[in-house]
Parts: sequence; structure tokens; C-alpha cells
Amino acid sequence: MIAGEFEYFAPKTLPEALRLLNERGNDCKLLAGGMTLVPIMTLGLAQPAAVISLNHLPGLDAVEDVGSALRLGAMMRHAAIAVHPLVLQHAPLLAAAARAIGDVQVRHRGTLGGSLAHAEPAADYLCATATLAARFQLQKEGRERWLDATEFFVDVMTTALEPDELLTAVEIPKQAAGSGHAHQSLRRVEGAFPIVLASAQIAPRYTAARIGLGGVGPRPVVLDVGDLVQGGVTPAALEGVGARAFDAAAQALSDLNGSGEYRRAMARVYARRALEEAAAALGAGGSR
Amino acid sequence: MGAVPKTNTARIDAAGNEEQSMAFIGKNVPAQNSPALVAGAGLYTGDVKLDRMSYAHVVRSPYAAAHIRAIDATAALAVPGVIAVVTGEDLRAKGYAMPVEGFGEGVRPKPFDLYPLAVDRVRYAGEGVAAVVAEDPYTAKQASLLVDVDYEESDPVVDAERGLEPGSPLVEPSWGSNVLFEARMSSGDATRIIAAAAHTVGGELHHHRYTGAAMEPRAYVADYDPYRRTLSFWASTQCPHPMRTLLGQTLHLPENDIRVIQPNVGGAFGLKIPYFQEEALIAALSLACGRPVRWIAERREDLLTGGHAREGHFRWQAAFEPDGRVTALKVRYVADVGAPSALAGWGQSYVTGFALPTCYKIRDTDVEVIAVTTHKCAWNAYRGFGKESASWLMDRVMDAVARETGLDSATVRLRNFIQPEEFPYPQNGGAIIDSGNYPQALKRVLEMIDYANFPKIKAEARAQGRYIGLGLGQELTPEGCSIAGTARFNGWDGATVRIGPSGEVTVLTGVTSPGTGNETALAQIAADRLGIDLAQVKVIQGDTSICPYGLGNFSSRGVIIGGAAVHVAAGELREKLLKVAGNMLEVDPGDLECENGKIMLKGAPFRYVDTKDVVTKIYADCHGAAACGVEPGLEATRYFRHDNVYHQPETQGRYSAYPSWANQATALIAEVDPETGLIKILRYCAVHDSGKVINPLTAEGNVHGGTAQGIGGALYEQLVYDDYGQLTTTTFMDYTLPTAMEIPHIELEHQETPSPFSPLGAKGVGESGITSPLGALCGAVEDALRDFDARIDRLPLSPERVWKAIHAREARA
Repeated sequence: MIAGEFEYFAPKTLPEALRLLNERGNDCKLLAGGMTLVPIMTLGLAQPAAVISLNHLPGLDAVEDVGSALRLGAMMRHAAIAVHPLVLQHAPLLAAAARAIGDVQVRHRGTLGGSLAHAEPAADYLCATATLAARFQLQKEGRERWLDATEFFVDVMTTALEPDELLTAVEIPKQAAGSGHAHQSLRRVEGAFPIVLASAQIAPRYTAARIGLGGVGPRPVVLDVGDLVQGGVTPAALEGVGARAFDAAAQALSDLNGSGEYRRAMARVYARRALEEAAAALGAGGSR
Repeated sequence: MGAVPKTNTARIDAAGNEEQSMAFIGKNVPAQNSPALVAGAGLYTGDVKLDRMSYAHVVRSPYAAAHIRAIDATAALAVPGVIAVVTGEDLRAKGYAMPVEGFGEGVRPKPFDLYPLAVDRVRYAGEGVAAVVAEDPYTAKQASLLVDVDYEESDPVVDAERGLEPGSPLVEPSWGSNVLFEARMSSGDATRIIAAAAHTVGGELHHHRYTGAAMEPRAYVADYDPYRRTLSFWASTQCPHPMRTLLGQTLHLPENDIRVIQPNVGGAFGLKIPYFQEEALIAALSLACGRPVRWIAERREDLLTGGHAREGHFRWQAAFEPDGRVTALKVRYVADVGAPSALAGWGQSYVTGFALPTCYKIRDTDVEVIAVTTHKCAWNAYRGFGKESASWLMDRVMDAVARETGLDSATVRLRNFIQPEEFPYPQNGGAIIDSGNYPQALKRVLEMIDYANFPKIKAEARAQGRYIGLGLGQELTPEGCSIAGTARFNGWDGATVRIGPSGEVTVLTGVTSPGTGNETALAQIAADRLGIDLAQVKVIQGDTSICPYGLGNFSSRGVIIGGAAVHVAAGELREKLLKVAGNMLEVDPGDLECENGKIMLKGAPFRYVDTKDVVTKIYADCHGAAACGVEPGLEATRYFRHDNVYHQPETQGRYSAYPSWANQATALIAEVDPETGLIKILRYCAVHDSGKVINPLTAEGNVHGGTAQGIGGALYEQLVYDDYGQLTTTTFMDYTLPTAMEIPHIELEHQETPSPFSPLGAKGVGESGITSPLGALCGAVEDALRDFDARIDRLPLSPERVWKAIHAREARA
């Protein structure tokens, strides 16, 4: 139960939403799927004076083919992303990440933009979008800008979003047909939040390979491992990728589910496993 | 120990020997309440709607240990819609002290004062210090943030062992120490035998703090009527009548002015046994305001204050022979039972000691139990009630002896078991274990899991780079507890059986159901006793104004005690029906039997009367020839007391609170991912024995639920306090519960070894299954990781803990 009154707005157009945000930016919270905002308000960790719902804005829940990339509306629900034909064809890693989130109810309420804007370091989308070199569309009244993942994700639960800015879309470069991908995570139980996760994306014939890691530091970590896998995913390549992941996870933090030491060791394990799985899927077509 | 003494009560009738219909007993009858509960049509305390309802919110201490200097409610009272703000001092001034009787005679805590809200000082983070009553729940919660409490923080006791050290801060300064209760249960001379033994083994074992997580949190609606001076109290509780008694004592109301109603309960697991501070508080608030008051715990509040369990540390030593026989066992058990409370949960520490050495015949044992109070949430009862810790310890002892002797774990258990012909068996703690056949159950479960072939299966898996292991869990679950000197936990209960003029049967019981289906078993017992169709029987539970006084639901007593009371009460009506039917048929009632709604001559079923016609005779013809010889009416209230309880040590030579001893042999195969420490259960086999099973379907449901909770406790669930006494696991994000995906298919068989002490031979089943996952998972993980010589002495088996156990040898090297 949420204590305290707050103003509630349900704008019907994007300009109206941006205007409200401009007026109330510092004392309002945006409500997308509510999978994070509602619990933190219930616990009293957030007590905004106003809540602006984004659930009635048109056009933010679609996938658009913009040539070399897909543009996903920030209000797309995980369940929709997980099965969208364009996503499965051109960015199946994102669909795999969406499929891994929470449980059925969470996947039908939670949104792409909500999860990214909250920026919990071990969230599935952070790792996947960073691996896919996604770009993020931020809008405010009178301004639109695009940031890449290294610019957008700033720190633990902190993004480059300004108080009057709204994340409206995410653009994912189309992956070549025959690419391989994988999204793996260590979780205590099905549906639990990941402890450590790794995404992998390999271009056909190993012309490029990227590994993303989550839960091992304040922001998602992306490793370009193309140089290590030129000759395929050999035991030596796996060892090299694991070592690089271990080094990259030096900032891993400790919490109830795992110490920094453990997370670092798991970064090595999951980077290798994601790479192996992605390599096995090479040439197998779009979806896994 | 000597021979089994004569008991103080007569047998009601021989176990299952009396001829009666068995049309429903032993059959898979779907639970009568299930359709409504599954459809979401259950009626819970939160569904109670009353005119002029007001809503309470509790202001809780952010500190584990603090002195309350002052409470200023001015700002909260100024909020429109706020009706009252009440503090602990207000309740103390009214004399609303909560009765604390502990766990009965000989198992009582040192004395302390307890009020529904903290007075002067808080004793755990989350303890209520004030309550706000308002016109709506949102206003109550919002205004509660404005209650200004001036605290003077002090150092908390957050570790039991450190709490025992001289100079430790004290939770109850008047006690002079943090020991809430201690007991020593010795038999023979274990110290001498261990000192002289050629072969000994020992270790430490740590059980962590966790709890049951009912879907429905605690919920109460209190409605005090100032004109009639009556209190109605709807509660998500297990024990309506004891609650009424406790509320009456606290609030100085006559018990017959209080009505406690238990609507559907969305899970209880022992954790809804009274007496919570909030139970007294919500009733007191209604008295103060003269209005109905509702309070429903938020999840965070329930995890913080709704009763915890487990958290204890064993140090043990055993002597054994090279053939695996254990000759002596010495145990020191230090339990961290949290803050002193009116809950009986800390009694679990006593039961752990009492239940040792469980299924095994070890002549010399020395068990020391020390319950230490700390600045944490108090223990409440949680399924297992301490027996799980005893059985877990014995699993670890048996596995350690197996490792030392080079024998396999099953052989060691088989060589130490109490043998089937030795029952009733006087166990060291004072109990008479009623019946059992442990070797048969274990041998059967070994067959089920193909134990003989497992080394080959394991070697094949190992060749593929996989690490699998097999573990055994042997659980013994004493049930139906009857503690001397407490009307809350005594070993009796009552039932009323009433046959109406249309022939329908109403059963009213003192036992209650937490949603597990005992109403169905009780209906089966009544239907068979009366030889009528189950559809004619309706069971009503959980309302003190219409049900016979009874103690409710705990210690798996619904069927063993409540069912026996129904059996006896229905038996009284049966006699009356047979007598009138005998008159109608002009035969001796002793030659009659009832079945299928008919009362018929044995061996000549064509000579019968419809039971309904007999009922009509009694109702409509009380001066007629057939019925004039019996008392009018068809209603019987009878009480049942379980045999096999011993409360007179001076004449009986022992004290034992537990009459009924269900047991289970479990074998599971688990795979460990050596890179991550993750565990996956591949197979789970169990042979469960709770004597005569009344309803296999609902019995299995209970075992499945218990198993899931046992796996949860062994692998996932954990309540974690930091050094400041702050609970860090107050949401289900942090308190990890297993889902259906983690619980394996349970291959379950029943073995029926009837209890000779209960009318139907039944034993309790409500706590079965929760224990054996602990030992079986520890055994399986150690077996899987034999290459690494990994040792498990602490739960839960989180991936990191297992990973560290794998790497411990490298770290040592």
C-alpha cells in the first residue's frame, strides 16, 4: 500500500507528456509498467508529488524498421519483444533477454524503457542492449538527443536522463543473418533477479564478436572479443575471453546473493558459456 | 529406560479393528474447500466489510535496541481522517498486559512484561511503538510517518553465542543474562563413553534463520460494540478459542463476550498460532475507538515481525564402532530465538533436544539446549517445530560415521535404526515412539531410486564431466503435542456431530484448517462412522460461538485428535441409530451395521431400514415404540484425549508430550554445477509413514507442500540481519522462495504402520516432508563433490556457499 497522496497524470499525447515533465520534472516519477516504481513507492523509498503515467501515449509500443536498425518504442512490454517477428529476425538477443525477465505477469506489465531508465546493473536489458550497441532516444520539450550505451548508463541505477527527459525509443542495429547470439544468467530461482549475466553476439564467420556482462559493476560491461575468436571458439579463445571477463569484473560489488569475488569468478564462467552457446548458434538463422 | 508404563486413559477402541464402513476412509477424496479456494472465491479476513470500519497502521521501531524517550503524536493527530494515535504507554495504563505462559510446565521463559506495543524500550527492529487509527488505510499509513518518536539507541545483541559472553548487552536486563531457557536431557553417560571410545567423530552444524511465507499475511478485524460490550474478532489464525481466552485475559473481558471467527486462512504453517502483539493491539484499538478496526500486514511487516524460525548452532560428538553402530552422542545446541514474546516458537529449541536421537537406538546421549534471546524478531512455530533440526543433525551424524567407517550411508542408518519389533519404543528424551518400520521404508526408497546401481550411474555422469550425488534424509516427526500446564497446547479436542431432521450431518470441530483440507478428512471419518454418503456431511470450523471449545490447529493434530473426537462423537450417534433401527427391525442392535445410508442386519442385507427413516423416527416419533427408549435429539459433543502422553513422571517414569510419530525415508539425486555451485535436483523419492492414511490425496498435498518448504529452506530461503540488528531481507526480491520450477517431481509412496494408540491408527501428516530435504541435499551435494572433499555444515546451500566448499581444498592447499 502506498502512503501519501500524489497527483496523477495520464497524458494522451507525447507533447503533453513532455510538457508535464518540463513542469514537474523534479518532483514527479514516470509510471511505465510499474514493476519497479510501485514496489519502491510501497516501501516508501520514493515519495513523488506527482506520477505521470506513460500508458496512454500512442505509438510508443511498436517496432519500426528504420533500414539498418530496429526502433523499439520504450513502452514495449517484455512479452511483446520476446515474440516480435522483427526482433526475432534482426535482434534475437534482445528477445532472449526479454524472455528471461521475471515471470509471466512481470513480462506482460514491465517495459523496455522502464527497465532501462531504472538501470539496475544486473537487469537483462542493460547487458543485452549494451552488447547490441543500441542507441537511446531521449526527448524533452524542444529537444531530442541520441546516446549510445556508454553515454546512457552512468552508474548504479543512474542514467544520463535529465529530470525533464523521457526515454522514448531504443534503436538496435540489425544483426546480419546467420549471426549467433546467447543470453545467459545466474539466478537463484526461476524469475529471480540475475546475479551475473552475459550476452554474446557473434557475426557470421567470426568477423566480429562482443560479450556483454551484467551484475559485475555499476554499469554493463561490453568486451570486444573479435580478436580472440578469429579462428573460431577454440579452448584458447574461451580461456582468453574468460580472462578478459574476469579482469573486466574487478569492480563487482557484494550483496546478499553473491560476493564481489564470486561475481568476478562467475563473469569468467558466464562469458565463456555465452560465447560457446552463441558460436553453436552461428548460421542457424535468426531466432535461437 | 525400562518397560512402557501403563497410561492414564482407556483406549477408545482398538486401532481399526472395529467393524465399520470404510467407504471413504483411505480414498482419494478431493478437498471439499478446494473449488472455492482455487477459484479465488475464498473468504478471508481481508474480505470482511463492516459499517464504520476504521484502519490501523503500526509505527515500527527502526532500531533493534533503543530506549523510547518520548512519543509526540501531535502532527499525526492533526491529519484529517485520523481517529486516534495509541502508544504502548496508553495500553500499559489500561492494564493490557499480554499473558506469557511459554510452552507449558517446565518449558517456560524467565518472566518479563509484554504489551501490545513497546513500553519504554524496543527489543527488535520493527517492534510496534504506536498505532494510528484512521478513516482509511492510506491516511493511517501516511499519518504514521508523522508520529515523532525520540529514541536513544543502544547496542543490540545480534548473535546468540556472543550474547552468552560476559559483558554482552542484555535484551531483558532483569534476567542478568540472555538465556531465555535451558534444558539438559541426558540418558546414560555419553561423556564417559566418548572419552573412552576408540572411534569418535564430531563437528558443528549451523541452521540459518528462515520462516514460512504464507500467501496471506497476518490480518485481523476487531469490532467492539460498546453498547452490548461484546468483541467480535476475525483473524487469520490457527487457534480461535485460545485466541479468545488470550484476548479476554489481556483486555479484561469475559470470554463469553468475545467471538473469534477464523475465515479462510491463506497459509499458516504454525506461524499463525497466537499470540502476536498485533492481535492484542487491534482488539485494544477497537475498544479504544468503539469502532471496527482492520489491520492487514504488509509483506515487509510480516517478514519483519511475523515470526521467524530455525537459527541454531550444534556442536556434536559421537562415538561409534567400526561396524557403524553409534554408541554415544553428545550435543550442545544454542538457539537464537529472538526477542522474548508471547509466541511459543522458542519452544522449538526444546523439541529439537527432546526428539533426539530420533529414529536411532543410541543408549547414551547427552543433549544440552540453550535458548538465547537476541534483539531480533521472535521465533514463532514453523512447520517442523524443531524436529526438523533434530533429524537434520542425525542425518549429518550418520553421514559422518559413514565417511569415517567407509561404509555407505544407508548401511549405517540400517545398523542404528530402532527395529520394527521394538515398538512402542522408549526414546531417550522420554517419549514412547508409537510405531514405525524404518528399515522397510528406507529399503523401499533405495529400491525406488535404484540405489544399488547409483555408483555406476554416478561414474557414467562423471565420465561426461557431470557431478551428481545421492543423499538420504530420514525424518521423524512427533505430532499431536500435549504440553502439561497449558490450555493452549494440550492434547485434547472436541467435536459436535449433529444429524438434522432431513438426515444431513453437521460436524463442528475445535480443530481448524489452515487451508490444507482436514475438513475433508473429518467428513470422511463421520460419513464412515455413520455409514452415510460423504455429500451429506458438512464440516464447520473456526467460530467460537458455534464450535465446541477446542485448541485449533498445530502439531498436525487435525486428524489425530480432531478426527478421533469426530469418530467418537459420531460413534455415539451411531449407537443411538442402531438401537432405534434394532427396534424397527426387531433385532439386536449388536447384529446391525450401517453402510450406504442403510442400517442392515449383518449377513442379511435385505433386512434393512433407511438411515433417514430412523432419523425421522427419532425426530417425529419420540413417544413411539421404536424411539421412546432413547433420549430425543441427534447431537453428540465428545472430547478426545490422545493416549501415549505422559505427564506424571513420578508414577509413569517419564515426561512425554508427543503421542504420534510419523516418519519418512527420502533419497534424492542432485547435480552440482562445479563452476557455479548451482544445485539441481534430478530425482526425489520418498516413502512416508503416517499410519493409517485417511485421505491419500490431501496427505500427499501436505507432503508436497512440506517438501517444497524444506527444499526452500535448504537451498534458498534466508532471513539475514546485519550487525546493527536490521533485517535486510524484507521483500521477496531478497527473501528467495523456490518456484514450481525448482521443485522436482516427487515420487511418493505411503507405508502404513498404524499407531496402536489412536482409534483409526492415524498419525499426523501436517508437518511431513519438510525435514528430509535438509539432510538429503547436504548428503547429495557432498556425494557429488567427493572429488573435492567438500564439507557442508551450514545452510542454505546458496551457489556461492557450494562454490566456496568446492574451492576450500585449493584454498587450504
